[in-house]
Amino acid sequence: MLKINNLSANIEDKSILKDFSLNINPGEVHAIMGPNGSGKSTLSNILSGKKGYEISGEVLFENNNLFELETEERAHKGIFLAFQYPLEIPGVNTNIFLKTSLNAIRKAKGEKELDAIEFLKLVKEKARELKFDEEKLNRQLNVGFSGGEKKKNEILQMSMLSPKLSILDETDSGLDIDALKVVSDGVNTLRSKDNSFLIITHYQRLLDYIKPDFVHVLMNGKIIKSGGPELALELEKKGYENFN
Amino acid sequence: MTEQIKTDFEKIVKASAFSEKDVELKKMHLNKFLKTGFPTRKLENWKFSDLSQIIKKNIGELSFYNDYSFPNKIDTSIFVEGLEHNKIVFINGRVEKVDFTHEDHDKIEINDDFKFVNRSEDNNSLLSLNNAFTNKCYKITVKKNYSLKKPLVVYHSTSNKITSRNINLKLEFQLEQNSSLRLIDLFNDRAENNFINIFYNFDLKENAILKNYKIDKVQNKNIRYSYNNIEQDDNSVSETFILSSGSNFSKNEINCNLKGEYSSAFVNGIFSLNDGQHHEVRTIINHLVENTKSYQLIKSVLGKNSKSAYQGKIFVDSKAQKTDGYQLSKAILLDETSEFNAKPELEIYADDVKCSHGSASGSLDENSIFYLMSRGLNYQQSKELLINGFLLDVVEKITDTEIKNLVKNMIGLKE
Amino acid sequence: MDKREKDIEKLKDYKYGFSTDIENIRAPRGLNEDVIKFISNIKKEPKWMLDFRLKAFERFKQLKEPDWQKPKYPKIDYQDLYYYSAPKSMNDKPKSLDELDPKLLETYKKLGIPLQEQARLNGIAVDAVFDSVSVATTFKDELTKQGIIFCSMSEAIQKHPDLVKKYLGTVIPTTDHFFATLNSAVFTDGSFVYIPEGIKCPMELSTYFRINASETGQFERTLIIADKGSYVSYLEGCTAPMRDENQLHAANVELIALDDAEIKYSTVQNWYPGDENGKGGIYNFVTKRGLCKGKNSKISWTQVETGSAITWKYPSCILKGDNSIGEFYSIAITNNHQKADTGTKMIHLGKNTKSKIISKGISAGFSDMTYRGLVDINSKAKNSSNYTQCDSLLMGNKCGAHTVPYIKNKNFDSNIAHEATTSKISEEQLHYCQQRGLNSEEAVGLIVNGFCKEVLQQLPMEFAVEAQKLVGISLEGSVG
Repeated sequence: MLKINNLSANIEDKSILKDFSLNINPGEVHAIMGPNGSGKSTLSNILSGKKGYEISGEVLFENNNLFELETEERAHKGIFLAFQYPLEIPGVNTNIFLKTSLNAIRKAKGEKELDAIEFLKLVKEKARELKFDEEKLNRQLNVGFSGGEKKKNEILQMSMLSPKLSILDETDSGLDIDALKVVSDGVNTLRSKDNSFLIITHYQRLLDYIKPDFVHVLMNGKIIKSGGPELALELEKKGYENFN
Repeated sequence: MTEQIKTDFEKIVKASAFSEKDVELKKMHLNKFLKTGFPTRKLENWKFSDLSQIIKKNIGELSFYNDYSFPNKIDTSIFVEGLEHNKIVFINGRVEKVDFTHEDHDKIEINDDFKFVNRSEDNNSLLSLNNAFTNKCYKITVKKNYSLKKPLVVYHSTSNKITSRNINLKLEFQLEQNSSLRLIDLFNDRAENNFINIFYNFDLKENAILKNYKIDKVQNKNIRYSYNNIEQDDNSVSETFILSSGSNFSKNEINCNLKGEYSSAFVNGIFSLNDGQHHEVRTIINHLVENTKSYQLIKSVLGKNSKSAYQGKIFVDSKAQKTDGYQLSKAILLDETSEFNAKPELEIYADDVKCSHGSASGSLDENSIFYLMSRGLNYQQSKELLINGFLLDVVEKITDTEIKNLVKNMIGLKE
Repeated sequence: MDKREKDIEKLKDYKYGFSTDIENIRAPRGLNEDVIKFISNIKKEPKWMLDFRLKAFERFKQLKEPDWQKPKYPKIDYQDLYYYSAPKSMNDKPKSLDELDPKLLETYKKLGIPLQEQARLNGIAVDAVFDSVSVATTFKDELTKQGIIFCSMSEAIQKHPDLVKKYLGTVIPTTDHFFATLNSAVFTDGSFVYIPEGIKCPMELSTYFRINASETGQFERTLIIADKGSYVSYLEGCTAPMRDENQLHAANVELIALDDAEIKYSTVQNWYPGDENGKGGIYNFVTKRGLCKGKNSKISWTQVETGSAITWKYPSCILKGDNSIGEFYSIAITNNHQKADTGTKMIHLGKNTKSKIISKGISAGFSDMTYRGLVDINSKAKNSSNYTQCDSLLMGNKCGAHTVPYIKNKNFDSNIAHEATTSKISEEQLHYCQQRGLNSEEAVGLIVNGFCKEVLQQLPMEFAVEAQKLVGISLEGSVG
């Protein structure tokens, strides 16, 4: 599904990712773990199409060259990024935002756009599943939401848009145990033989709830070790500093 | 006025030793002034303060004649105590003393024959008036890499026999690369009913730092106009603090051209007015290149029959991306006869900028007074405490600790 | 052609850019007493009305065209304009919609206002102004039952002279500024509304203005009176056909609210803004003023200004009655070479008066936007307050945003608070929306609508949808 071949990224002459390669097949859950500054967020930014990086290498998503696609086109094709810091957008109603987004993606896929009633039915259902406060759907997007609410909102959006590849950028940071459970339930519900996940995290904690198929350790822009779930536990025990 | 001013002009020319060329130049400026006269409220800049009317009402006929041929006696009692400083003493339109005893003399250059060139304030009739009548224009240059050890205090004074007179002063400061100057203007007028017209020009080269503190604290019946033009190169910083409180009428104008990247300008001001006083501050900050910043904070406390006005304009050129421009004006009206006017203006032609202005005016917050009173203070104490806190905020912006404390003492602010 | 190219193609053809071929009756070219008498005569006006016009004209001759506003425009030759032009088929006024010139009805259809159906569906009584003469008024019967008068100004002069005489010119006197005075001298038609004591008008009243005949200045005059304890919501929508010549529009709108009355006046203005090079377009120099005459009265202006080459207007409130309230909600969008200088005046004269100003300005392309406003709290206006918020959004660095508020507080019991910000749409916000599948124009439309939300919320439902679309359309092509 996703093939990253020898990806390097610089920002203002500073090298962040070096010869990074990764292969994700349909249905797989990959976790990337790494300390601060290892290049984790850069990876998610580049995959979602954020500008401002000098890039070399190749990223293929279902055999499409990702670098030829605009950010929204990547979303249309099924890439979803749960932001580490979801943006506050004043004045924009969460429901209206979600409906516009959902229909843009459905339209691109050639599916029928949902009308207000169908949409509301769907969003309420999803909100209930995720224990997301329905009242917040009528509030301005992320404005005045707590850290946990913002993250839950990201997962709600993810489950609404049903992407093929979901990238979770430090979604666990700042979450209490209940919110963590809600977030991982959301992910586990979406898990299927067709959908893949890339979970970027600093801590092993989230992986107790979302069992990854593969764990990769990212340091200084490179994967230094890959393995199964047991690698995360090893890492947790040793710490990044002594891991090598 | 026209006849009077022409006669006075001839009288001065006769009594002084100006060169023929100078006289021609002065005549040109005089004619320029006469064309428009004193500004009236018809001019947008003078909408809140009609200078022509104010002079007519408070002074009546002005005399433009000053005898520059004899030095005036310096009253040393006006000197600030407990603060080592350099001095410029200005009395009745004459600069009587320029004293940089605390400094390395080869680091400061003083030129008393400087020809002032008109700049952006070209259409200002008060500048023409100043050019026509000012006695001498001094230029002070602070050399490269030199920071004055002690502040420079300019004493503005008039002996008490002077009345209904127009008095002009002009100073030019050049701060070369990496130099710095702390300049305090102290207004100590003994005389009454004069119109005092002051022009300063500051040229700040790379990394230069200017701190100008204008203190008009002593109650006096004069009408004062003061104009600062500040040109700023890369990385330079200007800080202007205005205490506007003593004169009957006062208008301070600051025109600042941020033409070097990473240059910044700070303007902070306090109006503390009473009994028929009318003061104005007008600022124009021109952000002309990328990455420049300006911050302004002006607060007014307005007693009986007093009036303050704040006109602040932030201009951002289309080239000046990444500008930060911020201004805030707040006023407390203490009496039903007090009045606050504001015109905070933004004119912006670049999109990647952060600019804002805010203005708030009203009476003292009754809830706060109630809170303080419930802790045992009486009404007067509560009121004073709140005003104190309201103004302290502005004084705290003064970056020079020595001068901050001086100002605090002068206005009796408690921390 | 891809979608973007199509969008641009679509933009080139201004949606409402057609003109209907109808023979016109015109007053002779130029401005003089004879022309004013011609207008008054053709409208069969009583003498007092003619006197009102002539008095204004006398004053007009002494006035100079103002030049303090920011948008400058080429000099207008007032002797080279036609001051009256009516569709010929109007000589015998139609009694009902069926008698209308079919071409007129066709025009409205293109504009998206099928008069009968839409009016009924929306519960709106539409008083459509075609050029200078009102051509149809619907729902009159239903309104008449409640004693509400909603008719053309010409009809009001004939049928309700006492009301017109009593109120016309009391808010905008014949001695006002240049363009207002010009209007007083030569106004042709407009709407008249009177809501009797204690009546809440059961429907939104609406007028659509159009400018059709070329080289015809439009001089509408609207007068709305809300008697004690009454309420009315009035909508004004404007679209104009494409013209190469610049066209002057100098309307006067007067609102009067008596004790406990409320008037809500909403405008969506989408006149032809000129082409992308700044050629053509309407000059919209309008005087709108409301007087809160009685105690506890309220006047609320809401405007969405996206059209015209030059917009120059300050819908104002004079808060004379104690406890009266004035509100101004504005969205102004300029693109290409459009210029707007707009804002409001809130004059507080009565005790406990309150005013609120929310202004959202968006400039794109090579356009220039000015917010200019005055808040003046008089020394007698004890315990009054104002809150002002004006935000500007710039798109690109070829456009300008200018904020010029005048604040005068002469009352120590009163509070004035003013906030203004300037910002742009951040790359992060765009990226976020695009990541969720919106293209850049959809994203901008969404964010801009969010930016304007507080104002859009003030519009009646039917208008809000149209306005929201307009906001998006107005900015098409402004992001690369």
